[in-house]
Amino acid sequence: MSIVEVKNLKKYYGNARGIEDVSFSMEEGEIFGFIGPNGAGKSTTIRTLLALIHPTAGSATIFGKDCIAHAPEIAQSVGYLPSEVFYYDGMRVLDLLKYSASFYQKDCSGRIRELADRLDLDLKKKIDDLSFGNRKKVGIVQALIHEPKLIVLDEPTAGLDPLMQQRFFDLLREENRKGAAVLFSSHVLSEVHKLCNRVAIIKEGRIINVDTISALQENGYKKVALETKASANELDFAMEGITSLSVQGSMVSFIYRGSVNGLLHRLATLELANVTIEEPDLEEIFLHYYQ
Amino acid sequence: MNIFLHELRFYRKNTLLWILSLCAGTLLLFWMYPAFANNTVSLNEVLKNYPDFIQKGFGLSADKIGTIPGFYSFIVTFLMLCGAVQAMMLGISVLAKEATGKTADFLLTKPVTRSHVLSAKLLAVFTCIVITSAAYIATASAIATAVSNAPFDFKPFLMMSMAFFFLQVIFIALGFMLGAVIPKIRSVLPLSLSIVFGFFIIGMVAATLDQKNLYYLSPFKYFDTITILEKSTYQASFMIMGVLVTTVAVFTGYMVYTRRDIHSA
Repeated sequence: MSIVEVKNLKKYYGNARGIEDVSFSMEEGEIFGFIGPNGAGKSTTIRTLLALIHPTAGSATIFGKDCIAHAPEIAQSVGYLPSEVFYYDGMRVLDLLKYSASFYQKDCSGRIRELADRLDLDLKKKIDDLSFGNRKKVGIVQALIHEPKLIVLDEPTAGLDPLMQQRFFDLLREENRKGAAVLFSSHVLSEVHKLCNRVAIIKEGRIINVDTISALQENGYKKVALETKASANELDFAMEGITSLSVQGSMVSFIYRGSVNGLLHRLATLELANVTIEEPDLEEIFLHYYQ
Repeated sequence: MNIFLHELRFYRKNTLLWILSLCAGTLLLFWMYPAFANNTVSLNEVLKNYPDFIQKGFGLSADKIGTIPGFYSFIVTFLMLCGAVQAMMLGISVLAKEATGKTADFLLTKPVTRSHVLSAKLLAVFTCIVITSAAYIATASAIATAVSNAPFDFKPFLMMSMAFFFLQVIFIALGFMLGAVIPKIRSVLPLSLSIVFGFFIIGMVAATLDQKNLYYLSPFKYFDTITILEKSTYQASFMIMGVLVTTVAVFTGYMVYTRRDIHSA
């Protein structure tokens, strides 16, 4: 059974598009990336899954139950971390976490200590005395406190230093090993690359591709950089399959998709000083989708 | 239960402050009573010089103001005004603070229905006004007994004090509805003040014009202190109106909030 199943989800805010047509499904134990630029509809999709907003059309199920009709039941096993976290300013961290824990049918007191220790979070401080990054840590503890079966993260790494990010990812991997599925929305591809098994790419409210990270990279794209002996001419590279061409003096780079033989034949006609051909990283593939 | 307790804790200081202020205000107003009671004759002269609309608007009349219930019918109007502001602010802020503090995401992604959240919150602020009203009525009764030099008719006194509570109930319901319907209310105090004073002025105008039909427009007039003073009774039609307004407001609040989209911070 799919953990999350989204079917033709559509949301309009009045006349403004939130999402147009979003469908995807997440399997058990998966870390699923959800990538797209700002305004593509990532948050709209996530907020609908969490029943914070109501879809205009289409539907979504979590654990096989309708995400709007069974929202409270589903929420027992869902942890959510938004990109910006806000809590009741006057409260102490520990009181807030206890309040948060009090909603779940579980004893979470040991878990609060354990998570706070791992993230170096001071439980005695007041929420409004916390820095942005420390607030984020409260958010992480709060999202993982009840050992959810589905962890929903909406651009979660903002404000965390690289070390903390690492610990946070380690925590997520641990939860994942224990069986939790993770929905990870981001526009930072390197982190999606590090963590996720599969990604959905969303553009202007529509899913344009769902694939595994490795498949995306093995799509036949090559990243080519070369240096010519004389200064290079753009016309030399007018060839099918070449995109993102940049020519600066003798330095040339482009993305190529097509027969490797064809490419090498063409390159052989040029006087080259140097050449590298490599797999493009996710970032470059991603940009390709948005051209 | 956890939301209810959380809200109660949140409003604890605020409520205590309101209780203290109300009691201090009551004490201050009753301070003037001996002066009024001992000078009924000269007071008559003074009042005659006031224009008719002031006397009617505030329900002033010299022969009544010399007794505890009569004097109380005059001052309780101001205390009701304060009580209404408190209730309105509580009603609005209990939902509005989640939007302005951007904590709605936290609360509404917890495993509880929105109706549950609403009920817990409504019950919490209702508890606050029950405590406030109880403390107020007890204090007012004690002060009145202390300053009175003769026994007085306690029934109209108590009925006017209970009207203070009923008004708070109506205003908390109105505030609750506004908090549920308006997505983001940043300035709870100015909004509460303008609405409460608006109703108060409508009530005064209605009394000045002697238009009983206009009384339905202002909750302040549902418990007309003059009528209570004279007849020791509430008027059924206004009581029904009060119940109706409260029910409709609370119902609207639930209907709108349970269906509303919660937009991100």
